[in-house]
Amino acid sequence: MKKREIKKLLNKDVPVEKVQQIISDIPLNSIKLKELLIQIFHNTSDLKFIKFSNLTLVYIDNQIDKHELNKNIIGKLQKERTYTIPEIVSNLAVSDLEESNEIQFVVLSILKGSAGVYIEGEKKIILAKIPSENSRSITKPENESQVIGPQIGFNENLSTNVSIIRKYIKTPDLCNELFLFGTRTNTPVSLLYIKGVASEELISRLRKKLRKIKIDGMLDSAVLNQLINDDYLSIFPQMLLTERPDRISDGLLNGKIALIVDGSTMAILCPMSFLEFFHSREDYNVRWPIATFVRLLRIMAMFLSVFFTALYVAALTFHYEIIPQALLVPLGESRSRVPFPPLFEAVLLEFIIELLREAGARLPTKVGQTMGIVGGIVIGTAAVQAGFTSNILIIIVALGALASFTTPSYTMGSLIRIIRFPILFLAGFWGFYGIMFGFCLTLIHLLRLSTLESPYMAPFYPPRLKDWSDSVVRLPFNLTYKRPALTRPRDEQKYDPDETK
Amino acid sequence: MEVVLKIKSHYLFNAFLIFFVVHATQIGVGVQGFQRIIFQNAHQDAWISVIISGVATNLLVFMIIKTLELYSSTDIYGIHHDLFGLIIGKLLNVSYIFYLIMSFFVVLRNYIEVIQAWIFPELPLWFLSSSMLLLVIYGINSGIRSIVGIAFFSVTLSLWLLIFIAYPMKYANWKQMLPMFEADMISLLKGAYHMTFTVLGYEILYTIYPYVKEKKKVQKFAQLGVVFTTLIYTSLMVVSTVYFSGEQLERTIWATLSLFKVVRLPFIERFEYVAITYWMLIILPNLILYMWSASRGIERIFNIKSKNTIWGISILTIIGIQFFVTRNQVNTLNGVFAKFAFFVVTVYPVILYLFALVKRKLLKKGAS
Repeated sequence: MKKREIKKLLNKDVPVEKVQQIISDIPLNSIKLKELLIQIFHNTSDLKFIKFSNLTLVYIDNQIDKHELNKNIIGKLQKERTYTIPEIVSNLAVSDLEESNEIQFVVLSILKGSAGVYIEGEKKIILAKIPSENSRSITKPENESQVIGPQIGFNENLSTNVSIIRKYIKTPDLCNELFLFGTRTNTPVSLLYIKGVASEELISRLRKKLRKIKIDGMLDSAVLNQLINDDYLSIFPQMLLTERPDRISDGLLNGKIALIVDGSTMAILCPMSFLEFFHSREDYNVRWPIATFVRLLRIMAMFLSVFFTALYVAALTFHYEIIPQALLVPLGESRSRVPFPPLFEAVLLEFIIELLREAGARLPTKVGQTMGIVGGIVIGTAAVQAGFTSNILIIIVALGALASFTTPSYTMGSLIRIIRFPILFLAGFWGFYGIMFGFCLTLIHLLRLSTLESPYMAPFYPPRLKDWSDSVVRLPFNLTYKRPALTRPRDEQKYDPDETK
Repeated sequence: MEVVLKIKSHYLFNAFLIFFVVHATQIGVGVQGFQRIIFQNAHQDAWISVIISGVATNLLVFMIIKTLELYSSTDIYGIHHDLFGLIIGKLLNVSYIFYLIMSFFVVLRNYIEVIQAWIFPELPLWFLSSSMLLLVIYGINSGIRSIVGIAFFSVTLSLWLLIFIAYPMKYANWKQMLPMFEADMISLLKGAYHMTFTVLGYEILYTIYPYVKEKKKVQKFAQLGVVFTTLIYTSLMVVSTVYFSGEQLERTIWATLSLFKVVRLPFIERFEYVAITYWMLIILPNLILYMWSASRGIERIFNIKSKNTIWGISILTIIGIQFFVTRNQVNTLNGVFAKFAFFVVTVYPVILYLFALVKRKLLKKGAS
């Protein structure tokens, strides 16, 4: 299927009966309203109506805070008398009050946790927002830990997440645009950026992408991320998913744009170049030589992880001449009992490691530790003693797996683990030629990619020498006073380099 | 056909990337073994021949860019059309495209020759050629900016190979450079003539020029690219002269690759295995840029979409490559191509420049 057709299918309207078509206004009497709402909500059991004096209260049982309903709404309105709209507004002790005469809006608000107050004969409904707080408390980020730096992660609540960002960046320039996604889920999504820093062009590009999305359910930011990627067929992530608010704040300060989806612990940050997936916020918290060392280590780990096993297979299958004699003897000894060709041996072991990883990720934490022991010691030692694999290959594969976990971004880390399988096969079939073929193909692919229509390989290609000081290395702050050109920031300098030391 | 091309701004690239484009297309298969033929002519003074050819290349690049500068933004196809009219222009364009396809073919065949001779004697021609063509097609389809990006990474990511040229210097015998300046002018020039096959690649300027953003800076960076290439060639020539004895060098077909044989690291021996496979990255921009230029030309002249021509040329290449199997056949191909290329990249730019100049003068006279 061609790209366009797939896109068309993705963009296709999901058939959903629209609330609007049923009625556009609010009926004039409470019985009719009740009938209407029951019809809209398909007679759901948790839709409650309370009638007293000339008022009708309507809400969904589990969506609102009962305590607040009793104390601040019913408690203030119990006298036997007839109310008017202004009286109710002045009586209710709820800060977030709205009036609406559109039934669609009313239904949405009730779903989100408002109590509707209807006065007999009026064409308006007053909506008091008293949603039940069922979000968990803020905890440490589980998947992206860091030693030096704040230990705070996003939770599933959009307003909490935005407020954490606002705590980091206290400026009126921080803009928050709200989008609603999912014809069935009605998920709110916040688009965050700092006006005067972020490029207007990039923001409008992102807005355009967001408006194009027509989907019936949006449960997580990871889905949104895949929908707004430039190349949705590519295996490479083009936008960062992170659960660290400090990472998002840092990105915002550098002119990037963030998206936070309600109900998701991960926020999206874009545009992101390939290299930035290997950066961590911690690199800025430690001194620059340490940060530089760690960054170089990560880049090396990436190459090691992708190519090391493949090189072993290629060298043992085709090019044993390149192995020095001193190394050839231990290699031969350790492989002498193995009945399989190197490719099969390596694929088997890589497969076992992937199994262990996947099992470790799915199992409950208590069992997970046991799995580690079973996997690491029992399978590792037993496989060698049984003559299934060689000792040296175990070292190489373990090293590759370990190296892939040094990548700070989880999505990039899992990509690195996947991408080595095709390269492993290429190496097993065509030796170094195959590896090089895989390398060139990946390189061309990386050059093709873009992130929010900006170059993915920045700052290396197109070469922006000034940004190299904060790329594979991190030089001291007085040399990195410019924002990266990738985001085309409107305010190019972070600070005056002469005054900072 | 339009003479002046208007390229949309998001297809343009920075002028200093021309350095990498020119350098990447110049370095290719020729560098793997140019030393032998030059040495046969100029002996220990071969390095002078290399420098002569380098200087000549600088002059030719100067002329090529001057020709292009006479028009604001065009390629060789537009110039032909403008200078020689519809019919002769088309004829010249077709022959230029033929040259491009031929050089594409020669580069590909020579690289496969090296792979087969050094690493995989059993791998069939069709497999090697189609795998390379897959990369080329994928590369061309990603657009001109990515193509220039491949040239950029090809140069920067292979710089480390240069370090290992210094490795054989441990065994250098500097007396082999002496006596200096023994060769006469004719043998030096003959040596320089035989460098054609190695230095060509700068003619890519003829087709890529309209895609450069700041056209005024092209001259500077193209010249720098050529100088860098000449530096590498000269140092390779010197290292080969002092490392190999004269007789040995005359019998070594791929002297540069043989130099890598000397490298011995604690974890790796027979370094040429790594170098030759890594050479794929060096060859890739050559292939991509030649094929791109040819498909661009066909698109300009016959209005055939370049996507279709790429597939056409690729299929023809896979079929055509079956006719050049033995070493002798490849040698004959190289010989014929070198003569043809000598005309196209050294004689023809001068002629074209003169024609363009005369036409410009005549037009000015007519106007006044």
